[in-house]
Amino acid sequence: MRSIDIHAHISPEGYIRALEQGEDWYGITAGANWFHESIPRTTWTPEQRLTDMDSLGVDVHVLSTNAIFYLYDQDATRVAAMDRECNDYVSQLTRDHPDRFAGLAALPMQDVAASATELERAMTQLGLKGAMIDDSVNGKTYDAPEFYPLWEVAEQTGAVILIHQGMQTVVGDRINRYHLPNTIGNLVERAITYSSFVFGGVMDKYPGLRICLSHGGGYTCFGAGRMDRGWQVRSEARVNINKPPSTYLNRFWYDCLTHSEPGLRMLIDSVGIDKVLFGTDWPFDMQIDWPVSWVLGLESLTQEEKEAILYKNLENLLGI
Amino acid sequence: MRSIDIHAHIAPAAASHLPEGQTWHGFTRQEMKGRQFLVQGDKRQWLHPAYSLTADERIAYMDSVNVDVHVLTTWVGMYNYDLPGDVGAGIARECNDYVADLTRSHPERFAGMATLPMQDVNAAVAELERSVNELGLKGAQIADHVNNKTLDHEDFLPFWSAAEQLGAMIFFHQEGDDTIVKPRDTKGWAIDNSIGNLSDRVVTFATLVFGGVLDRFPDLKVCLAHGGGFTCFGAGRMDRGWQVRSEARELGANIPSTYLNKVYYDCLTHSEAVLRYMIDSVGIDRIFLGSDYPYDMGIDEPTEWVNSLESLSQDEKEAILWKNLERVLGV
Amino acid sequence: MRSIDIHAHVTPQSYISAMKGGQVWHGVQPEPLDIEPQLEWTPEQRIKDMDSLGVDVQVASTGAQFYYYGGDAQAVAAMHRECNDEVHQMTIDHPERFRGLAQIPMQDVDLAIAELDRCVNQLGMVGAMIDDKVNGKTFDEPEFLPLWKAAEQMGAVFLIHQGGGTLVRPRTRSYHLPNTIGNLVDRAVTFASFVMGGVMDACPDLKICLAHGGGYACYGVGRMDRSWDVGRLPQIPQPPSAYLSRFYYDCLTHSESALRMLIDMAGIDKVVFGTDWPFDMQIDWPVSWVLGLESLTQDEKEAILWKNMEKLLGITSD
Repeated sequence: MRSIDIHAHISPEGYIRALEQGEDWYGITAGANWFHESIPRTTWTPEQRLTDMDSLGVDVHVLSTNAIFYLYDQDATRVAAMDRECNDYVSQLTRDHPDRFAGLAALPMQDVAASATELERAMTQLGLKGAMIDDSVNGKTYDAPEFYPLWEVAEQTGAVILIHQGMQTVVGDRINRYHLPNTIGNLVERAITYSSFVFGGVMDKYPGLRICLSHGGGYTCFGAGRMDRGWQVRSEARVNINKPPSTYLNRFWYDCLTHSEPGLRMLIDSVGIDKVLFGTDWPFDMQIDWPVSWVLGLESLTQEEKEAILYKNLENLLGI
Repeated sequence: MRSIDIHAHIAPAAASHLPEGQTWHGFTRQEMKGRQFLVQGDKRQWLHPAYSLTADERIAYMDSVNVDVHVLTTWVGMYNYDLPGDVGAGIARECNDYVADLTRSHPERFAGMATLPMQDVNAAVAELERSVNELGLKGAQIADHVNNKTLDHEDFLPFWSAAEQLGAMIFFHQEGDDTIVKPRDTKGWAIDNSIGNLSDRVVTFATLVFGGVLDRFPDLKVCLAHGGGFTCFGAGRMDRGWQVRSEARELGANIPSTYLNKVYYDCLTHSEAVLRYMIDSVGIDRIFLGSDYPYDMGIDEPTEWVNSLESLSQDEKEAILWKNLERVLGV
Repeated sequence: MRSIDIHAHVTPQSYISAMKGGQVWHGVQPEPLDIEPQLEWTPEQRIKDMDSLGVDVQVASTGAQFYYYGGDAQAVAAMHRECNDEVHQMTIDHPERFRGLAQIPMQDVDLAIAELDRCVNQLGMVGAMIDDKVNGKTFDEPEFLPLWKAAEQMGAVFLIHQGGGTLVRPRTRSYHLPNTIGNLVDRAVTFASFVMGGVMDACPDLKICLAHGGGYACYGVGRMDRSWDVGRLPQIPQPPSAYLSRFYYDCLTHSESALRMLIDMAGIDKVVFGTDWPFDMQIDWPVSWVLGLESLTQDEKEAILWKNMEKLLGITSD
């Protein structure tokens, strides 16, 4: 039984070395240092990661650079350079361990043209499989036409776009306690992103676009009924699309990171088993602790469904 | 109220009444320190005095402890998996004919389980078929390992396939003091038995589960003697092992504790708390009366003991005493 | 709410650097380092993880791979002194976060007593972690009695924790069973050795903590009692079950019902918090696991998480 994890993060070696030596790295601030010092696993070497993957029974990590490196609010040129180093590093790891690593690019989303260029480089020269981006860019959501050039490149190159929040979510402004900005915020963000793509007409305009919503797509499939009702009764909801938003559910991919068997079962039943991917959120405390055996032990899934999630769907999607 | 005992041993008369100076499948009879033994080479098997009782004497004992039916298993001195296969097969045939005769002459008081030459799997399968189809036995008793091979070994697949097809119950019971604890039982404190039997039984459960035997043969009827040993209590750590180790998930498809209610157990726990724990873990329909007659490590008054347990309901007591075995074995 | 973990392991940094540098370490030939990545963490990184887990104090023990009871006693004694000095340093640098259990060279009881004495009386450690057996010998052997007597006087605690192969290994090596069943069998045998060997009678104040919830000891004690009933254990005045409450047990059962039974049989004051950090067989989120157990009262949870350990180790909270 294989397993391929679409949701596994990494920090670039160059940053880790700078952290250890107390040096600056592309102007990365103390915030990143605190993040890495608080979570010792974020500084593990690739070999230590492989040891842990063996222990977890995970064959392949589809590596994405940690969200703390998004930095969409900082100088675009500097962040673009940093992203190139991140992507070169991930690409090198996929070459060093082709059986164990695949990779997703980091993009300077504050500059869509630069992002499109870097995505193209990642796909055509670095052998990466797509990119991981935030749910929004400096307050802009992905229905904004300025992002069209990026979706165009993504569609043309077959890139998979993994959607994953940055360091803050919309919930944080309301309540910043009890870990709710994460435990609720991530899931709210994902539903908003789904609706931005769908209501904004992006999915119609780019029928080949491949978007994967992490954290099981958040509240998306659970809340699709009310989006449909809104589309039915409000003309502004129908500006860009001619069919109910729930009909787009099977246009997206989702990881299985629901922390709930009924939640995962509903996701499968809503979007189709071929759209659910294995994703663990390594190496953070909100990950699935023993993800392979969690999936294998789920009573409400058939053996075929478990295999589809653990590796078959990602083999198809990424051509691994 | 009826009572049916799954764990009651016997020896064939040809062995228990073997005259001095004669041999029986290579065994001779010797007396040592007032005890009778069957001896062959280094092997020395204690013949419990109760094995010289006649059927009527045994029934009188059963009446005295309110046990209606003994599901007879030969004593483990009859396993002899270390002897050549044809010797084992000869012993097994004689044991099974003997037990079958008793079940025919006293059908209200005895049912029987076969002895099998497990060192020769083909011969074991043939003898199991004969025992069930021709002799009317209910299954067979086997040891936790066969010459140190556990029963998940692929050699035994034909055996499990036959047992499933025949509807035969396989009753697991260690061979004497040859348990995994033996190496540390250096002082004669009987922990090879008091801890060892229970350890061997959980290894057997684990090998059948992790080895995929219970997945491949879902209709298999397995009964673990001595309350399944440490199986129920130790399920949490087996689950954890399955969770964190890929070698543990290779063959067994599901979380080990989900198989607890796929096998049967006797009630030989020597502890009300443990029996209660078992019932709560595996379900009341999985537990049979088992006394380990005639040994001192058995239950002296098995029906009285079950009836005395305050934490069991009347329905639970009846399920253990007879209803479960009546349903599962058709006794 | 505090939490004190009696079952948490350390790999000596001196060993790690020797192996990485291709150097011999107390007779251990250089070998590729094959340990959990967490064991290479600095104490400060370890503390970050403890913060994340909600563990306040680890009673740190050098891992069982460093028992080396089969090795030359003097050489192993020197190795153990270095292990113990490292653990001691952790407790000096972070007195609020670490306590220590010593390694002692059990192949030589005199040396073992000397090192235990140094660790407890000079270094302030709380006791020692030892295997279930020493080169095939169990702890009822009279040669160990001076150690138990000395420990009793010092107030030292022994954590019993298997090393090397367990009793299951000769039967099967498959499916991780030498660990998932073997540890628990070995612990039951060790309980029996202490009890049936008269050690608990000879040393009424001896403090023994059986790791992994004492394995199968409490669940299997009925059958041990039966062997006492039928006269096979004439050397002890009471049935084995009467000794259950003489031991301490960690809570590492991976089963709520098993932990409940352990509490009911041994007494709530005998069950302490133990996680097996950082191995895969640990409790993943141990504090929240204990707090979330429905069949335990709040008092029982607090007893397990820290109150019993404070009493046992003489740790006082602010």
